[in-house]
Amino acid sequence: MRQSHTAIIERNITWQGTFETEPYEVAWASEAIFFVRTLGAVGDVEEVTARVQISPDGIRWCDEGTVVLLSGEIDGVTFGKVSHFGTFLRLVGDLTDGVTLTVIVALSLKE
Amino acid sequence: MNPKLSRFNPLSRIVCFDDFDHGLHGWTGLIGNYEKSLDAMLPEYRDLRPPMLSNGTMWDTGSAGSWDGTYAMKLATRAKAGGLAVAVKRQTWRFAGPIRMEAYVTFKPDATEMELSELDVRAFGFLWDLQNAQDRVMPHLRYLNALDGERVSQWQFKQERESLADIGQSGKTMSHFHLAGTGWEDLPGESQIMCYNEIATKQNWHYMCVDFDLASMAFTGFQFNDRVFDVSQIAPMVMPAMANLWCMLNMVFFVETDCDKRAFLSVDSVLVSGEWD
Repeated sequence: MRQSHTAIIERNITWQGTFETEPYEVAWASEAIFFVRTLGAVGDVEEVTARVQISPDGIRWCDEGTVVLLSGEIDGVTFGKVSHFGTFLRLVGDLTDGVTLTVIVALSLKE
Repeated sequence: MNPKLSRFNPLSRIVCFDDFDHGLHGWTGLIGNYEKSLDAMLPEYRDLRPPMLSNGTMWDTGSAGSWDGTYAMKLATRAKAGGLAVAVKRQTWRFAGPIRMEAYVTFKPDATEMELSELDVRAFGFLWDLQNAQDRVMPHLRYLNALDGERVSQWQFKQERESLADIGQSGKTMSHFHLAGTGWEDLPGESQIMCYNEIATKQNWHYMCVDFDLASMAFTGFQFNDRVFDVSQIAPMVMPAMANLWCMLNMVFFVETDCDKRAFLSVDSVLVSGEWD
């Protein structure tokens, strides 16, 4: 049976301006989905996105290429799928002035 | 001889043997109690960081792996002084007798600087969270490595209770932040210096063994590597039994950072054993 694990990497946190999730180690997994659930939103959240990043060491990061569209609706859930990501994953983004998002971020991993 | 078990010294019954080469084995993030809204949670509980599986990758040497395999359970704080990462495993007990927790652990700060950084991790520790018909009992142990940048290197216990807060409106939910930095007392005996090693990316595994008796609800032993501590004068945190926690046997590992840098605690494996017929 394949191993699987879902980590809640942000819970009820409010993003504004530049944001980044904490590094999460995923070397054992071969596929991942970032789920972002919106608990609250302020401002114009049309076309707001987050980017998936990978890292060789959990310290230095580069964009992986996957982009997650974020929802401005309460309880709206969006996601981004990634694979072939090495050892570390995180989600980063930049919100424009006046926009805040309160979110729960789940990272669903599978061997 | 089983090479996986021979480095442990279990009691007659094995309750669980968690080798993190095979997943997290029921260890998960700790969350505070809440009703209706996550905002109801005590602030200190809102951002305890959850465990992950780590292959011990360092920027300069690559993956170190674990004691006897590839993966360990890793706790990583945020890069903010006082940040905590906590893992909990939730079980129940069936006989009020001796229990033992053994583990192989190592702690380190994030290697973001080319400096020794040996005082960047504030503390790491282990606690049981137990309940019998009379009391909820929480034996806490931590290694206070450093505080506000000063070396301490002292094992501590905590029996002082934190205030209990009502959560929500139902009258059914309470919460207390027992991991607060206040109320810790030194274990008798000298401080203990760990094998921190010589740069921030080298980590050595250490043996930890905590004995407790569910009948007397008292510490019965504590060993860390070659040091066997006198536990006759230390006591657990005790409070009246709470609703819905009968026979609880929870185990918790935690790590706290002393500066604005992530602190890591890695656990290669955990063996919990007990004594009953």
